Amino acid sequence: MSQEIIDTVAQYLTPSIPIKLISQGAEAVVFSTAVHPYCPMRETASGNEPTQYIIKYRSPKKYRHPIIDKQLTKHRTLSESRLLAKLFLIEHLNVPKLIATDVYNGYIWLEFLGEDLPNNCGYSNLKNFLWMYANDPYNEQVKNTLFEVGKQIGLLHWNDYCHGDLTTSNIVLAKDDNGIDWVPYLIDFGLGSQSNMVEDKGVDLYVLERAIISTHSSFSGKYNQWLIDGFSSIYKAQGKTGAKKLEEVLKRFADVRMRGRKRTMVG
Amino acid sequence: MVNLNTIEPRNGRNYYIALGLEGSANKLGVGVIKHTRLPNTASGDNSHNCQVEILSNIRDTYVTPPGEGFLPRDTARHHRNWVVRIIKQALEKAKINDPTADIDVICFTRGPGMGAPLHSVAIAARTCSLMWEVPLVGVNHCVGHIEMGREITKAENHVVLYVSGGNTQVIAYSENRYRIFGETLDVAIGNCSDRFARTLKIPNAPSPGYNIEQLAKNCQHKESLIELPYTVKGMDLSMSGILAHIDSLAKDLFKGNKKNKILFDKETGEQKVTIEDLCHSLQENLFAMLVEITERAMAHVNASQVLIVGGVGSNTRLQEMMGQMCKDRADGRVHATDERFCIDNGVMIAQAGLLQYRMGDYVKDLSDTVVTQKFRTDEVYVSWRE
Repeated sequence: MSQEIIDTVAQYLTPSIPIKLISQGAEAVVFSTAVHPYCPMRETASGNEPTQYIIKYRSPKKYRHPIIDKQLTKHRTLSESRLLAKLFLIEHLNVPKLIATDVYNGYIWLEFLGEDLPNNCGYSNLKNFLWMYANDPYNEQVKNTLFEVGKQIGLLHWNDYCHGDLTTSNIVLAKDDNGIDWVPYLIDFGLGSQSNMVEDKGVDLYVLERAIISTHSSFSGKYNQWLIDGFSSIYKAQGKTGAKKLEEVLKRFADVRMRGRKRTMVG
Repeated sequence: MVNLNTIEPRNGRNYYIALGLEGSANKLGVGVIKHTRLPNTASGDNSHNCQVEILSNIRDTYVTPPGEGFLPRDTARHHRNWVVRIIKQALEKAKINDPTADIDVICFTRGPGMGAPLHSVAIAARTCSLMWEVPLVGVNHCVGHIEMGREITKAENHVVLYVSGGNTQVIAYSENRYRIFGETLDVAIGNCSDRFARTLKIPNAPSPGYNIEQLAKNCQHKESLIELPYTVKGMDLSMSGILAHIDSLAKDLFKGNKKNKILFDKETGEQKVTIEDLCHSLQENLFAMLVEITERAMAHVNASQVLIVGGVGSNTRLQEMMGQMCKDRADGRVHATDERFCIDNGVMIAQAGLLQYRMGDYVKDLSDTVVTQKFRTDEVYVSWRE
């Protein structure tokens, strides 16, 4: 992690907004802060612990041509912000709340989600969660959580949106109100889009399936099954049209999978 | 650590000699390598320490005229015509006078690749094996690339970007398999540039991709770009649309189609874009996509280094962009090799094959030497790594 990026962000935000680096993803650097961008009263409102906010910064990538970089930064920041705003309105779909955005510089402010998992297992995304249960992979809680994750994806797709980069690190788990069950949130819609194409949905499912196979290979069969069960339950709840659409999506999913695996490789 | 010494070298020597035969595409490569058999201690017998010594590395490329690609039948004929001469040359250079006594194993490419060329080289391998009474090992071409790159660069905790004429994959090692994290959904990156080179009718020697690279270097307007589709899909990418787009631009340019506002000025009809500009834009666009998916995979598996293998990996612009990306990541480093090891060669097949042989995995029956055009990287059980 280069200091240069942190300095740029600190300069942009001015010293009145202290930031803490959380992670460097492939595309963006994520910081947390206790300061709300336009509603400073919030800071002390919740009492003991100040509310945290996420600042997601798409740093300019020096490796690519400045023109490509500018286009991509603006396009992705803007489409992610738009998507988040729209998705937030969908009932039962869990996405982080959008607070502010600056598309030309590549900043997004979001609500803070998740927590640290017990026993030093790291931040509560699905990847760390599954690793935490690696000794007890078929635990009831794992099953329920994956089913819920599947439902979230089902809801997303049913409303004709696609994520574009479904990996286990892009699914964050937060405790529900009574603090027992995990509620999945989909994050990072940088490659997301509004789409009613079966192809995009199939690719979405395939990307997730492969992410699970690659990182949690030993138990991937069951895991993927539970995800698909949850996914299907959303469609099935929509009656006949739902069942029909589900069949289409799953059929395309199978096609995409075949395409990936049997791709001719010459050379 | 894995003990690589499960099989004794021939004739009580303390080293192994392997002959590698490669011919999955238009390159015919023969290489001879030597592994020293290190004593069986915990630190001395892992694959990072097999002390490879390259005795010879001979390659002959089937070059087609400008505007033409290599067809399977003609490529196979080229391989058949040359394989005996190249093997003789490689043995001579390695100072092997009696193959029966000196060679431990013959390694050949079992796939993936074009069927006919693969087949002709496999026949040569079987013949040598029977003639010299030397065991055979069938090698996955992609694994050959990875093993060679690992041995030359000594990369650790890395993601592999495998870019060549037929493959574009982002690979990471996990639990005895090279797992594919991202790959192209349609054509490979080398295929994309080769086909564009065909449209431009530029020479295919030494390689079409190299000539495109040189044209791109000579671009006079590096600050501007021609807009092309940017098609990253998660960790996968698609390149056929980009190819079709830039192909049509090049065709309009050759025809002098003044209606095309991207290429010609609206009022004066003056040409705004040159072939060099097209090559530059194509490279910038494609490589930006490659680096992006590599970075994505690195973030996903927590790797800090990148190993670039495959023919396109010898492109200096790609190496430069990858280096820039790694610089911005914690302890990032990029490993790349030069054209001797990047572009298909016999040595890499020998390296992967010898590792496999030393783990006791060799052909027991000649019917197991049938080549296959479809042979995925993750199908191979990598027994020689932890």
